[in-house]
Amino acid sequence: MSSKGILLFARNNTEIDYIKQAKFLAQRAKEYLDLPVSIVTDTANTDLDGFDKVITVSSDENNVKSFYDGQNYKSNIQWKNSLRTQAYNLTPYDETLLLDTDIVICNSNFAECFDNFEDFQIYKNSIDLVDRETDLEFLRLADSGIDFYWATCVFFRKTAVNKLFFDLLIHIEQNWDHYVKAYGILTSNFRNDYVFSIGIHIINGFKPGSFAKSLPGKLYHITDKSVLKEIKNEELLLLLEDPTDTQNNTLLRTKGINVHAMNKFSLNRCIDEQ
Amino acid sequence: MDSSLEKALKFSNYMATLDNQKRIILEKFQEQTVYYFNGGQFTVDLTLLSYVNILLSSTSTGVLLDDKKIPILVTDLAKFYQDIFDTYHNSLTNYYNEYEQLKKSRTVEKLVEL
Repeated sequence: MSSKGILLFARNNTEIDYIKQAKFLAQRAKEYLDLPVSIVTDTANTDLDGFDKVITVSSDENNVKSFYDGQNYKSNIQWKNSLRTQAYNLTPYDETLLLDTDIVICNSNFAECFDNFEDFQIYKNSIDLVDRETDLEFLRLADSGIDFYWATCVFFRKTAVNKLFFDLLIHIEQNWDHYVKAYGILTSNFRNDYVFSIGIHIINGFKPGSFAKSLPGKLYHITDKSVLKEIKNEELLLLLEDPTDTQNNTLLRTKGINVHAMNKFSLNRCIDEQ
Repeated sequence: MDSSLEKALKFSNYMATLDNQKRIILEKFQEQTVYYFNGGQFTVDLTLLSYVNILLSSTSTGVLLDDKKIPILVTDLAKFYQDIFDTYHNSLTNYYNEYEQLKKSRTVEKLVEL
């Protein structure tokens, strides 16, 4: 029988405690999905008892990114986002659900991916909880570029084709400067969503194709300009940005939907309040 | 209540909040109408319900095309029909209840159950 589990990458920087998020996600994964969770981290000298396996890696990265906490706070901090391309080699499971630590699981939909026939599943679309046109950034890699996929949640089985795919992702990461130019990407910052999107485009024969299938259910998101205020079981309270007025917000209550909470500061505050 | 919440309540547009809550519960309803069976994924709608019901009048097994255009063998169509019927009915009832609750909520505080 094949082994199944969730894999998280959590590497803290000076301001954001990703391990705290990973522990919280692991608790919710047990509650909603009944799956073991393994962690890949460079911070092994901390309490990591709740995890099935702890995979220690070293990290030496210079990526810097602006992180917002709502519309009025911004901090430029280190962004350790490499190594995800190594997920295939690092995972202890035959069937792996790879998740960002800022996913707030509120239902059991993810469990269905393990029963699905498809060996590689990923979301192409995510629903913005702010009521506005989807940002072009989340649709294509450039104005006239290829389709965007969310590396936030990825399911894969250990198959020869998936091994080939992840080896390709490692190649793209190693030659990132070339692929930025080749795909007309405007930011030079390394970004996993782009690497996965390029990999899917290449493995499909440089055209849209059938390699990547959609994960079950829907993914919803807030960017870091919105604020997660409260997590109460499967209910979330959110303070949504107003794209037309930085001094204004609207409120939203969600029940039973999985949310990608990109405002990591507010997610950590909510975790502290649990 | 902290100051950011108070500020939001002060400035929130009731209709914008209502419309967004409605949008999200509709998305959730559509998400909940998906039925997973034997490795396949079926979005249950009136067309699928009607087709399976018609199929049932002539056979007890059948092949159905799922959302990803994969043919799935259903060996017990009666049970499949009951399951997709329940999926749709429960999702719609849940959607109705949440929608009615929103309709009754006349303030932003009530809309988001503060």
